[in-house]
Amino acid sequence: MTAIALRMTTADLLKLRRKRWLVLLSLFLTLGVVAIIYLVTVIQHASNPGEHGPAGGAHNFSDGVRALALFFGPLVAILIGVEAGTGDASAGVFRDLVVTGRSRLALFATRVPAALLLCWTVVITGFVLLLVGSIVFASGLPTPSASLVLNGLGFMLLATGVLCVISVAFASFTTSRPGAIVTLIAWQVVASPLLANISSLGSARKGILSQAIVHFSPVSIEGHRGATVSMSEGTALIVLVVWVAVFLAIGAWRTRTMDA
Amino acid sequence: MSTPANDPAIQEPSAALAIETTGLTKRFGERTALDGIDLQVPRGSAFGFLGPNGAGKTTIIRTLLGLTRATSGTMSVLGHPVPAERSVALQRVGAIVEEPRFHMHLTGRENLRLIAAVRGPDADARIGPALGRVGLSERAGEKVKSYSMGMRQRLGVARCLLADPLLLILDEPTNGLDPGGIQEFREMIRAMVEQEGRTVFISSHLLDEVERTCDAAAIVDRGKIITQGPIAELASGGVARHELILGVDDVERALGTLGASELVLEAHRSDDGIRMALAGEPDSAARVNALLVNAGVGVARLEPVRHSLEQRFLEITARLDEAPSDASGSSTHEEVRS
Repeated sequence: MTAIALRMTTADLLKLRRKRWLVLLSLFLTLGVVAIIYLVTVIQHASNPGEHGPAGGAHNFSDGVRALALFFGPLVAILIGVEAGTGDASAGVFRDLVVTGRSRLALFATRVPAALLLCWTVVITGFVLLLVGSIVFASGLPTPSASLVLNGLGFMLLATGVLCVISVAFASFTTSRPGAIVTLIAWQVVASPLLANISSLGSARKGILSQAIVHFSPVSIEGHRGATVSMSEGTALIVLVVWVAVFLAIGAWRTRTMDA
Repeated sequence: MSTPANDPAIQEPSAALAIETTGLTKRFGERTALDGIDLQVPRGSAFGFLGPNGAGKTTIIRTLLGLTRATSGTMSVLGHPVPAERSVALQRVGAIVEEPRFHMHLTGRENLRLIAAVRGPDADARIGPALGRVGLSERAGEKVKSYSMGMRQRLGVARCLLADPLLLILDEPTNGLDPGGIQEFREMIRAMVEQEGRTVFISSHLLDEVERTCDAAAIVDRGKIITQGPIAELASGGVARHELILGVDDVERALGTLGASELVLEAHRSDDGIRMALAGEPDSAARVNALLVNAGVGVARLEPVRHSLEQRFLEITARLDEAPSDASGSSTHEEVRS
């Protein structure tokens, strides 16, 4: 990364991290949710140990990783990505950036690492709290292995990273913050699971982003990773790459050609 | 902050003009916003771009800066053809398009840091001086959402200064400024032009403001340049005439004397006495006075006529309004040029 790209990325990160509502909401969806889950399960275990197991341990850690990587993390990724993609346009300063003479593609490109930096910082914070809680509240249960911790972290970063990049690009394409947030959440949370369960769609379902992401989950549930559609690792990887490449292309195209 | 007057880049022989457009046309669907604009803005001057709302002022600025694409025509900024060499051309251009906009959740200084990051390392060092120049040093740590409109305008100028601009393009820059702020702004523009050798291109519908601030101007209406040139020439209808109003005790004798003198181009009776045009420079007014006194005419008043750009502007636009329905047609164009 050149010095100017680094400076532009730092500037984009400044815009994001100074958005107080964005940072607080993102922290709530990660740190806050993990803390609430621990609080409830610790109280339940303390009040009725026979009915409710300990809050910590490897199994609960695995559940937490899945929740962070597949639901709360993507929500954070979408919020941050959309803000990164639409922030300049909605504030009306995109034209002021364009009149510096800097290429529009460069202006688009530096949004991506800035959004990733904030997104990953927030989800890693939640992950760390999840890990600490799984050890502190294990109460004799086996704690997560180093392999599970690293794979879980990698999976979470992959899942949130892909969503974040796609969100930046899609938001840059639409330039509408509410529209992009609603569309992305609706697709990821509502439409994708529904489509994945329509068996008549056959192998076309391999193209669903969330199915490809789940394929990389290190956490097995009842012998599989939670994916409805089975595919090879290579296919899953290709699906992820195509999604990211296509969205980056349309986001870059829109940023390059739109009236500022 | 270095002054561009001493900068070798400003001495580029290739471009005596800061802005030049030829046949610049911009259409939005069926509507023609710019209709064959030929504009020449000399370097080292304050140039006003005058026109009523909707005349195409902002559109030409947006086109020059690459914010929107021209339908046809050619243009150059600081000697560089745009859009072909847009990046190079805009490196030393500062611009405020429409009202200055900022990230409201950031401070004034942070907003400048964002632009400085995009401009390059040199721009960072200019943040402090730029804030000082516009009188915002003490408020730079406050969020922009707490700024008044006038402060935002000044912050917008500071943002322009980060480029150490050879050319400033300011769209309605005095909007939201109080009278004191307008005066300060005017002085700042003049200092930029006269002391630092910068070119300032100001679009405005405020005729008086342009007349006081600018050296030259173009009048635009309905997407066409109606006329352009030095302010004095524009105000006097294309010729730099030096006119006087005379108050005398004997109008007939005075007219006879003036009519026989080679100092006088034209003289006629008017409501306030005699109105006359000098054949020479303004200092020949004293000789006219002596001529009349020697002829036995008592002179109670001798006052130079100040041509108003506003008057001229209203004349031109009124003539366009009276023209046939196709007001943007070439005949109207030529008529008002003549």
